[in-house]
Amino acid sequence: GTIHLFRKPQRSFFGKLLREFRLVAADRRSWKILLFGVINLICTGFLLMWCSSTNSIALTAYTYLTIFDLFSLMTCLISYWVTMRKPSPVYSFGFERLEVLAVFASTVLAQLGALFILKESAERFLEQPEIHTGRLLVGTFVALSFNLFTMLSIRNKPFFYVSSANGYSFCLFFLSLCGIIPGLSSIFLPRMNPFVLIDLAGAFALCITYMLIEINNYFAVDTASAIAIALMTFGTMYPMSVYSGKVLLQTTPPHVIGQLDKLIREVSTLDGVLEVRNEHFWTLGFGSLAGSVHVRIRRDANEQMVLAHVTNRLYTLVSTLTVQIFKDDWIRPALLSGPVAANVLNFSDHHVIPMPLLKGADDLNPVTSTPAKPSSPPPEFSFNTPGKNVNPVILLNTQTRPYGFGLNHGHTPYSNILNQGLGVPGIGATQGLRTGFTNIPSRYGTNNRIGQPRP
Amino acid sequence: MVLFQKPFSSGKTITKHQWIKIFKHAVAGCIISLLWFFGLTLCGPLRTLLLFEHSDIVVISLLSVLFTSSGGGPAKTRGAAFFIIAVICLLLFDNDDLMAKMAEHPEGHHDSALTHMLYTAIAFLGVADHKSKVESWFSLIMPFATVIFFVMILDFYVDSICSVKMEVSKCARYGSFPIFISALLFGNFWTHPITDQLRAMNKAAHQESTEHVLSGGVVVSAIFFILSANILSSPSKRGQKGTLIGYSPEGTPLYNFMGDAFQHSSQSIPRFIKESLKQILEESDSRQIFYFLCLNLLFTFVELFYGVLTNSLGLISDGFHMLFDCSALVMGLFAALMSRWKATRIFSYGYGRIEILSGFINGLFLIVIAFFVFMESVARLIDPPELDTHMLTPVSVGGLIVNLIGICAFSHAHSHAHGASQGSCHSSDHSHSHHMHGHSDHGHGHSHGSAGGGMNANMRGVFLHVLADTLGSIGVIVSTILIEQFGWFIADPLCSLFIAILIFLSVVPLIKDACQVLLLRLPPEYEKELHIALEKIQKIEGLISYRDPHFWRHSASIVAGTIHIQVTSDVLEQRIVQQVTGILKDAGVNNLTIQVEKEAYFQHMSGLSTGFHDVLAMTKQMESMKYCKDGTYIM
Repeated sequence: GTIHLFRKPQRSFFGKLLREFRLVAADRRSWKILLFGVINLICTGFLLMWCSSTNSIALTAYTYLTIFDLFSLMTCLISYWVTMRKPSPVYSFGFERLEVLAVFASTVLAQLGALFILKESAERFLEQPEIHTGRLLVGTFVALSFNLFTMLSIRNKPFFYVSSANGYSFCLFFLSLCGIIPGLSSIFLPRMNPFVLIDLAGAFALCITYMLIEINNYFAVDTASAIAIALMTFGTMYPMSVYSGKVLLQTTPPHVIGQLDKLIREVSTLDGVLEVRNEHFWTLGFGSLAGSVHVRIRRDANEQMVLAHVTNRLYTLVSTLTVQIFKDDWIRPALLSGPVAANVLNFSDHHVIPMPLLKGADDLNPVTSTPAKPSSPPPEFSFNTPGKNVNPVILLNTQTRPYGFGLNHGHTPYSNILNQGLGVPGIGATQGLRTGFTNIPSRYGTNNRIGQPRP
Repeated sequence: MVLFQKPFSSGKTITKHQWIKIFKHAVAGCIISLLWFFGLTLCGPLRTLLLFEHSDIVVISLLSVLFTSSGGGPAKTRGAAFFIIAVICLLLFDNDDLMAKMAEHPEGHHDSALTHMLYTAIAFLGVADHKSKVESWFSLIMPFATVIFFVMILDFYVDSICSVKMEVSKCARYGSFPIFISALLFGNFWTHPITDQLRAMNKAAHQESTEHVLSGGVVVSAIFFILSANILSSPSKRGQKGTLIGYSPEGTPLYNFMGDAFQHSSQSIPRFIKESLKQILEESDSRQIFYFLCLNLLFTFVELFYGVLTNSLGLISDGFHMLFDCSALVMGLFAALMSRWKATRIFSYGYGRIEILSGFINGLFLIVIAFFVFMESVARLIDPPELDTHMLTPVSVGGLIVNLIGICAFSHAHSHAHGASQGSCHSSDHSHSHHMHGHSDHGHGHSHGSAGGGMNANMRGVFLHVLADTLGSIGVIVSTILIEQFGWFIADPLCSLFIAILIFLSVVPLIKDACQVLLLRLPPEYEKELHIALEKIQKIEGLISYRDPHFWRHSASIVAGTIHIQVTSDVLEQRIVQQVTGILKDAGVNNLTIQVEKEAYFQHMSGLSTGFHDVLAMTKQMESMKYCKDGTYIM
């Protein structure tokens, strides 16, 4: 009985795994990765055997790099899988983050392996065992050629992204610092793959080890080069794990903070907006930003209008956005229930509500922000286009249909324009247009100060 | 040199007032030079250089730190402390006089342990101490003259270039590096045997001055001098680390100073330690970890010390292993500390999620350990080595006691903090007893543990780590008994194999939970309530539909959620927000953002996305609308 209970979830888990695996394996590209993975496993097995036969810890450290290659292959597979999977109700943001998690896990594992190597070599400094050089060089070259082959033939998107986002590679810095080859930094500076670099450096260290042991029987150099490889591993992996870890921690990426600040300032200068607060922006996977923000508006401002404008501004940067419009004291005028007060409160609503009823009168209505141009293509989805009188029925049916999707689609050209060409002039234009704001600089200043001490 | 530069003929004429100043300066310079020569005769060029070659800025800031209470922040204090340490090093640990004594009887008796240490240090540095011999004047003067010539000219020109090209503080900052380093190099070169040979070429007489050789104390003090000069001469104003955010209408750049840049600019180390200690002791989680860490470190150092004393390799390697384990504890401690930091711009939800990440890393750590133990035991299973067991038992019993204390403390904290995580402790006890009796259906106990699922992944990770250590000690004891009683050497790898599997299985639930949180899964413990809440939301009056419901656990205390809601045009948005917030708060979501959309929103959006020119038109219209809201314009 117990065995059955214990086994049942396991089998379903494996079944699920098999199904997902089949999904991935349907892709041609993943075949190559799988092939490399199998070769990697064989290779690693041989290398581990040779490690124990040579008793060399430097080779062990190098073998861990091969194991790391296996992880990076797995990450690559996962990133293929992620592109195929749709968000499920449980994982509502989709599986993009799995990629980040895989990168994080593999870099952390590599660092833990390096830590283990450091510990082992600290023990070996006390008592240096004898190293047999028989398979040392063979192992080195097998591992090196395999690593290089893997790294150069498979385009590993997530790792490429992380390593290029980091901007600097420790290895490069290390080498140029040592000045081993003075011209090296100028040759390789255009973003050399740090993994290739670390593989080459490790192989170099192993070759030196081999030579010194062969010539002088100087066994301590094995430990020293193991420490060197471990430190290089740390230096290469640490920035990457910090980067992906920050994504996992739901932090605002530092390189978009400037842009975000600009957008938020723009939002806070919108008409009717009093305050922007509780802003949370974070990266979903590598690249796409998600966020939520609370906007406090004046009591008499039109909520839907402000919402549309805020969303429109922020959509250029934040793809998954939620904006909560917030009014102070919204209940007070309603409690007065005077006809005038109610009128003031619903002023905008009164103008919006009849709008669908006015056939094609959108451009006549100045309250709408958007005069529907006859030349512009009709929006893919909006409330009044499909059939003005059967609105509610359609809406009830479309509950599962993502409104945002169509909106996004129709939205992209505009955002592109704003992103590329109009970054600076756009601000100037809007500022110039708003002649009502005569005191722009001071407004800027106050906003700045308000925006600064964000808890 | 004087002819070359023509100092008297060129330049401006000097007034009488300036002559007086120059005279005063000359007197002061004379005194300093006299001190120089005094120092040169007493203790040689190197030490004199170290003591005297400080630029005015360094000296002034040092004096201001020492004699006025408001020196300039903790950084300056640190610099002054370095300076004083350097002087003390030079005075106490340098063996200038002692060297002469030792030169007379190289293998003679040593006065104190200090002298002995210095002697070994000198031997380590490879400085030969030969006896000095009487020599002629000429052989001394030749190298001296060349050295003085080079040093003086080099110094003059480098100094003038520096003072022209750079500002004063920078000059003081970077000037100290080459001066001290070159002084050290020269000092080394002067006493090095090669110089001897050079001089021997000059004249056959073999001579060596052992008076002012390089020693470890001098090197250390030089390093401290460089550090202190660097710190003291660094500009006292805060680093201008801001990000450019744009340009003001006048065209001047606007900078945004981050809060982080201010916080980390300079903080006194002792104060930092004191504050973090206070923070650690404030909360029970971090306090537990801290005490246990102290206990563990104490045990480790006792082990290491005893190992060094008895020259036992096994003890030392076990000590290293303990240190390796302590790193996990340190990480857990840091995570527990950081998780209470205030939210910043970058960490907008607060630092609570760090605990989950730390739990995840700890889980990976354990998996790595399990993997290594597994590999090792497989290797030993194939080829079981002979091992002597007489040293193992006391060490492993000690480790077991320490770890048992840890388990008690952590499980205590566990059950106090969250009643829900009781199960995981039970499961650990389960697996214990199973292990002791050799049963293998431990999976049962673990499924309990995962069901219990405590919130605090960090503490769970630390707890599992301690548990794994305990298992290790038990395994060692069991295998030792088996080996001693029956001579089964295969018991050791079998035990470790078993332990590796146990560790792995106990970590899996932790990793799974942490992964789910990190992947922003709908929190499983709220799944049902949220489902009900969404159904309730559906029934709100005036609500048409909702989309994009995202709910996720951010950290142990924060469950965040965002949702978009479509309503009919005639309801008040704020009332809907209030209702939905109430429902979702009841369901456990405490960081909520609700976007209420009406038909008008979609009209606006579809209009907004038509193009830039429309945006301009729209902006104009917004103004006109603002105008109309003022009441002057009525449709």
